[in-house]
Amino acid sequence: MPEFNMRRMQLGTKAVISKITAQGEMGRRIRDMGLVPGASVEVIGKAPLRDPVALRVAGSAVARRNSEADDIAVRTED
Amino acid sequence: MACPMCENTAGTPVSRHDGGECIRIALAGNPNCGKTSTFNKITGSNQHVGNYPGVTIEKKEGRASVGGRSVLMVDLPGTYSLTAYSLEERVTREVLAPDDPAERPRAVIDVIDSGVLERGLFLAIQIREMGLPVVLACNMMDEARRSGTVIDLRKLSDLFGVEAVPTCARTGEGLDEAMRAALDAAAAPCSPMVISYGSDLDAALLDMVPIIEKRAILTGKYPARWTAIKLLEDDEIVRGQVSACDAEAAERLDAIRAKLADHLAKTEESTPEALISDYRYGYIHSLLKGGIVRKNTVKDRLALTDSLDRLLTNAILGPVIMVGVLYLMFQVTFKIGAYPPGWVAAAFAWLGGLIEG
Repeated sequence: MPEFNMRRMQLGTKAVISKITAQGEMGRRIRDMGLVPGASVEVIGKAPLRDPVALRVAGSAVARRNSEADDIAVRTED
Repeated sequence: MACPMCENTAGTPVSRHDGGECIRIALAGNPNCGKTSTFNKITGSNQHVGNYPGVTIEKKEGRASVGGRSVLMVDLPGTYSLTAYSLEERVTREVLAPDDPAERPRAVIDVIDSGVLERGLFLAIQIREMGLPVVLACNMMDEARRSGTVIDLRKLSDLFGVEAVPTCARTGEGLDEAMRAALDAAAAPCSPMVISYGSDLDAALLDMVPIIEKRAILTGKYPARWTAIKLLEDDEIVRGQVSACDAEAAERLDAIRAKLADHLAKTEESTPEALISDYRYGYIHSLLKGGIVRKNTVKDRLALTDSLDRLLTNAILGPVIMVGVLYLMFQVTFKIGAYPPGWVAAAFAWLGGLIEG
């Protein structure tokens, strides 16, 4: 499965997180929210200016900025 | 052994405060999991329940009585983990492992939003790693049940090794059981939870723990393995505490960490800190795959919130609805708000009439 940047996920699509490259506090925050390798995410909304993006992860909704999504690599669900 | 919490109560099953005083139990949980409501229900204190930043950052305490024994409840700030990044997390850590061992909570009730079990367990693991007995108060079970999610709490208890009690903070259902379970857990012998962090990290931990134990670095405060994990996470506070305690050992421990970090950067393009949380989540996922959570229907728990969101955050409808709400408030303020002054004027006219007459 090809890996791609989370920023490029379209509204309503699902994917599985394959890698998180964020370091330090941001890396910790992203993981605390349940955004971890292996977790499946769905884009459930985008703000009018396409940023931030609302994600569905492990039964809850999480908002992410695009700049943070750059540090998250995903692949399509098999 | 190596459980600092058990050492100072050797022989006596409960807190040394027991003679006439009370047992200290802490209340932990993620933000917005119903922790403050739970605290208010248990202690009966009438505090403000809110979501303003910092509302629970001050230490809140309350007293309760369970089966004739008095309990001192300590409300902790809502956190997702126990790192040193935010003030809330540092406060939580300080309460769970205070400088004065007499102030250490005997047990922790970890309030969990049953709809987001993973996140709650992520915190629970970290509290257990600090060596404190934990009782899981699985809050909002009614909501989870209504949406067709069945959580096998007995299985969760067995696999996770802590008591899990269904609660409902709104009605107070299950809170007595949670308190009793916490008292039982406080009286039982405990040892810190140990989970595997993969071959690389486990090997480093195996090197570090003997050093920490032999030099007795912070062993009165934290379990040795926890200190080692925090050092691998590059936790600035624990690093400072360790080097203040034993500078020479701190250097040796630092060298182990640096070597591991270097190795991980080369082989996995990762950091010890990232791997530690990945392994924690991995542990949780493998637990939950063992049949703890069963979805009876495909009905989405957040179906209502989702459709409301779709409507209210729609690019065109959203602003229209907002203007509508503002217009309504304007109308209410000026139309309905115009009546009371009229009544007051009429009342004064009537009083004036009485005096004149």
